[in-house]
Amino acid sequence: MSSSVVGIAADVAARRRSGVEVTREALARVEAVDGRIGAFLEVSAERALEEARAADSRVAAGEDLPLAGVPLAIKDNMWVEGRQSTCGSRILEGFVSPGDCTAVARLRRAGAVFIGKTNLDEFAMGSSTENSAFQKTRNPWDTERIPGGSSGGSAAAVAARLVPAALGSDTGGSIRQPAACCGVVGFKPTYGRVSRYGLVAFGSSLDQIGPLTRSVADAARLYRVLAGADPLDSTSARLEVGDPEGALERGVRGKRVGFLAEAQAQELDPDVARDLAEARRAFSDAGAEVLDVSVPRAPAAIAIYYVIASAEASSNLARYDGVRYGPRASETDLLSLYRETRTAGFGPEVKRRILLGTFALAAGYYEAYYGSAMRARALLSEDFDRAFEQADVIVCPSIPAPAFRLGEKTEDPLTMYLSDIFTVPASLAGLPAISIPSGLSSGLPLGLQIMAPRFAEEPLFAAARALEREISFTDELPAAVR
Amino acid sequence: MVRRIATLARLEVADRDLPVLTGQLARIVSYIDQIREIAAQELPGPHSPAATPVRQDAARPASGREALDANAARQLHGYGVVPRVVG
Repeated sequence: MSSSVVGIAADVAARRRSGVEVTREALARVEAVDGRIGAFLEVSAERALEEARAADSRVAAGEDLPLAGVPLAIKDNMWVEGRQSTCGSRILEGFVSPGDCTAVARLRRAGAVFIGKTNLDEFAMGSSTENSAFQKTRNPWDTERIPGGSSGGSAAAVAARLVPAALGSDTGGSIRQPAACCGVVGFKPTYGRVSRYGLVAFGSSLDQIGPLTRSVADAARLYRVLAGADPLDSTSARLEVGDPEGALERGVRGKRVGFLAEAQAQELDPDVARDLAEARRAFSDAGAEVLDVSVPRAPAAIAIYYVIASAEASSNLARYDGVRYGPRASETDLLSLYRETRTAGFGPEVKRRILLGTFALAAGYYEAYYGSAMRARALLSEDFDRAFEQADVIVCPSIPAPAFRLGEKTEDPLTMYLSDIFTVPASLAGLPAISIPSGLSSGLPLGLQIMAPRFAEEPLFAAARALEREISFTDELPAAVR
Repeated sequence: MVRRIATLARLEVADRDLPVLTGQLARIVSYIDQIREIAAQELPGPHSPAATPVRQDAARPASGREALDANAARQLHGYGVVPRVVG
């Protein structure tokens, strides 16, 4: 029996299995395995089974559902009606989603089933999922290591085969980096492709929702369902989505595949360098023209990102004041209510970013920091525009090294930030980017990232599928979840 | 400096946390300083973000009120309750 998104949807649509059977299997596996991984913050078995029954009835009524009976996990910063959305934060403990976010509503219409909500770094700020206020999530390949972050729960749930796919959100790499750490596919669409309505805002000029899956084809299926204009998100693009699934087998013959020169100039982990060299050969064998391309300002991306994302976060998180949501820490006067609720409710990393963002936006510093970051971001985007005149897609590693040990970087925020060096540039330029598993390094997964021009998801999927076919990443279950 | 920013951000920093936090933020800001050099470089062309499309200004059904009531820490007669702010 197929365990892929596309396979399950086909089985349920053809009534070879029911959505209820598939959902029961997923729930049983979560029950048996998640104690070792900690991917889920909340599992809603009863509701999931209701949703599965609804999907089965719709199939029986003759509806054509692209995700018929497919069990999914949703990162806990997205609304699923009637279920908690805590964002991994004490300040939103007990918050019940007033409706579905648009992404979930689209998946629901397509016949999907929602198993539960997954763990994340608080408000999606982090690269290890260690910043969750509620629990640690462990990497299924080595439970002493981080799953990456911030969508670490979603990545771990897919890698441990608890669900065939999950939703994540990506502000600076939060889908792609955990996907690479856990050996799964992680796809961030172009900024504007997927509505963020009902996604709790972090960095509004960067946030984007996307799928984590075990194959490029499954990512394309979910993306096809998720993408499209939404009047409830004014930044959602009013452009045709095209045919991402039809693009999968187009290949790369005659295409120009650029390798990011700035990534190769770094001292790379030997196994990362090995996988990159392997990808060059693979693309060349598949008939592509392989070349080096330069994005000169890419090495400054982390510095630019931490000004812009933190500035936006400090503004977006101003709404958590104890008045509208969550537990209240004080009732003495309004200022104390704000201050004490926020001080008790936010964790250390969120506070650091709020302070950094408040600083970057403060009178006297605004031009030097936020103004400079905005100009530098525009220059970086120009670099990409020029690079894409030479190449159809650009390849670089997704992560500089395999997943590190739990606790290894928690005392050193800047080193933690540098984990995202390869994913942040595409975020700043609003590009679509996908991470696919590229190999193992001492038993731990590595990933390669492919980026494409804005709204060029079709060539991106064609290149990703071509590379996936050549690499054929192991189909073995990670050790901790066998 | 950290205390002044914290006041703006409506956060408190405990005395025992101040030295570590100040050190971390100083290191991050000194790393970030590299952008000022880049920002001084000339932009090749005018660069403005794409205009945000505007949706029709029309009422639509929503459950905002019920959601607010359900998630607010305290509410009374359909209103959120906050500490007294005027004499």
